[in-house]
Amino acid sequence: MDVVFNQVFAGLSFASILLIIALGLAIIYGTMGVINLAHGEFVMLGAYATWALQSFAGIGVVTALPLVFVAVAAVGWIIEKGIVQWLYHRPLDTILATWGIGIILQQAIRMGVGAESKFVRGPDWLSGNIEIGTLVMSNYRIFVIVFSVAVLTGTWLLMTRTEFGMKLRAVIQNRGISECYGIEAKRVYSVTFAYGAGLAGIAGALITPLFSTIPTMGTGLVVDAFLVVIAGGLGSLVGTAAAAMLIGEVTALFSIVINDTLGRIAVLAGIILLIRFRPRGLFPADTRR
Amino acid sequence: MTNKLSYDIIGLALFAAVILFGVPAFFGYDGFELNTFSRYLSLAIVSMALALSWGTAGLLNLGQAATFGMGSYAMAMHLKLKASGEGLPDFMGWNNVETLPALWVPFHSLTFTLLAGLLIPAAVGGLIAIFMFRARIAGVFVAVITLAFLVAFQLLVIEQQGFTGGQNGLTGLAQLELFGWTVDIYATSFYYLVGICLMVALTVGLYLTHSKFGLILRAIREDADRTRYFGYNVANYQTVIFCISAGLAGWAGMLYALVLEFASPTYMSVSFSLAIVIWCAVGGRESVLAAAAGAILVNLAENRLSDVFVEGWHMMLGVLFLLVVMFMPRGIYGVIVDAGRALRRKGGGDAEEPAYDASLKSKQEG
Repeated sequence: MDVVFNQVFAGLSFASILLIIALGLAIIYGTMGVINLAHGEFVMLGAYATWALQSFAGIGVVTALPLVFVAVAAVGWIIEKGIVQWLYHRPLDTILATWGIGIILQQAIRMGVGAESKFVRGPDWLSGNIEIGTLVMSNYRIFVIVFSVAVLTGTWLLMTRTEFGMKLRAVIQNRGISECYGIEAKRVYSVTFAYGAGLAGIAGALITPLFSTIPTMGTGLVVDAFLVVIAGGLGSLVGTAAAAMLIGEVTALFSIVINDTLGRIAVLAGIILLIRFRPRGLFPADTRR
Repeated sequence: MTNKLSYDIIGLALFAAVILFGVPAFFGYDGFELNTFSRYLSLAIVSMALALSWGTAGLLNLGQAATFGMGSYAMAMHLKLKASGEGLPDFMGWNNVETLPALWVPFHSLTFTLLAGLLIPAAVGGLIAIFMFRARIAGVFVAVITLAFLVAFQLLVIEQQGFTGGQNGLTGLAQLELFGWTVDIYATSFYYLVGICLMVALTVGLYLTHSKFGLILRAIREDADRTRYFGYNVANYQTVIFCISAGLAGWAGMLYALVLEFASPTYMSVSFSLAIVIWCAVGGRESVLAAAAGAILVNLAENRLSDVFVEGWHMMLGVLFLLVVMFMPRGIYGVIVDAGRALRRKGGGDAEEPAYDASLKSKQEG
């Protein structure tokens, strides 16, 4: 039984990281219909930025979070301005273009920093474990879970309680009419893309103490995160959170019942079935297109 | 239309002349050089197969590498059995597999292998297609489902070590014996075998795109609903082209396993699958000829550039691809067609023929 609880906790911590990555992806996809395959590389950039801040400036992971957010958001903003904004009328081509961007970013890191894996130390004040009976929870993973809930809440507040969020929701519902009311959709798009990229950067910073930092670390994550977005439904924050939970937990629990790989295969098969029978996701948002 | 067909036939003839006569003469009939080139030719087949489903019918199949891998494993299983003689393939011993799995037994037969490499991928492609298109799944969701299938399939192949050799794949293969002729992959005759396979595939592709079937597929690409209202069963057409495309990919996989003398799960990786999409997009997805040429050109460039810029070629590939997507959405083919049209307008002032493939970028289902 204790194995199950530990797996549930492991699944929860994986799900919370997946949630932050998928949230950025979901906002970008929900707003612009852009499938951003470079999102994994934004995660990777965030991880490398954290590594650079720690090894050259001595800034810890937690302190680095806002800096990393700004840095990766800036990269995202430039990419949106330079490339993505020209492709909004060709949604399938954005898959290809962002894949190309991903290759370039990955190769830039490989040439600039090197292909060997980098090590980032977790913060000392979060180094211990909390033990409840046989359940062992590392403090850092608890911090990650709490932080992801905070990010989710923050994004929800941004979407529902601010003027920018209102504009964003208007553009999601109908770009043409919201432009008639004086909303600059192009600006909303750029800021949204940058925000999504920044979230990916934060996720990258958070996983540095848990995963090894290598140039290809984003590729696997983006597939998972993308499946979360599709499963959760377009532009639905609740759906994204629920799907991240579901996929994280199911992967973790399947891996005790069968094994890791078969667990992943089962999750993928489940997602294929979900898209087939509920193409608008678990919790489709009410949008008019 | 007939005009268009004659251009394509001229194009095919030129292509055949270059591939079957030009290239061997250029390399002085040197088997080793031609061996690398026959690798490109087998990749050209999978690229043109993608052009059939993506360019003609508008179905972006990101799982093309899965059916390609099935073909390569079918061929490799036959050759592995041949190399092991009466005994079990070596990796099965390492994984404590005592008897030959039932899945492997029929691959003793060459006829079965050749058919399986073509028909198993086609059947799998067909099943996925029926599953998707009956529900009218379109656009981005086709890409996502095929991508998820690809990832799941690759994981399965790596996981089932006892059956597939796991991460190492199938190595140490025997030489193929085709009706009494031992295939030596470093001989010019092997190059011609692959070249002729490519030409057959291209002829099939050209026939399909110029038939009424191809016309309906283009109609579906432009507007699936309208085609449905005309009374065509859209799902059936999509399923058939998906099947054919998957079968051709499997065929290419068989040749690829022959050229490289092993089959590996990397043939089924996401990056390989997207590489196929890159070749197809660079050449031009609307024309099977252009897609095949794109595969050959990109691989040739990759080979040459990676010699000179060991680190940087990957970056160049990314930049090239990005530029193609942004500025040449119809690939090299689009540039040639546009140039040809501009020349004709300047020269004769002919009545502008409505371009049947001009509006690819106007509408993509989202």
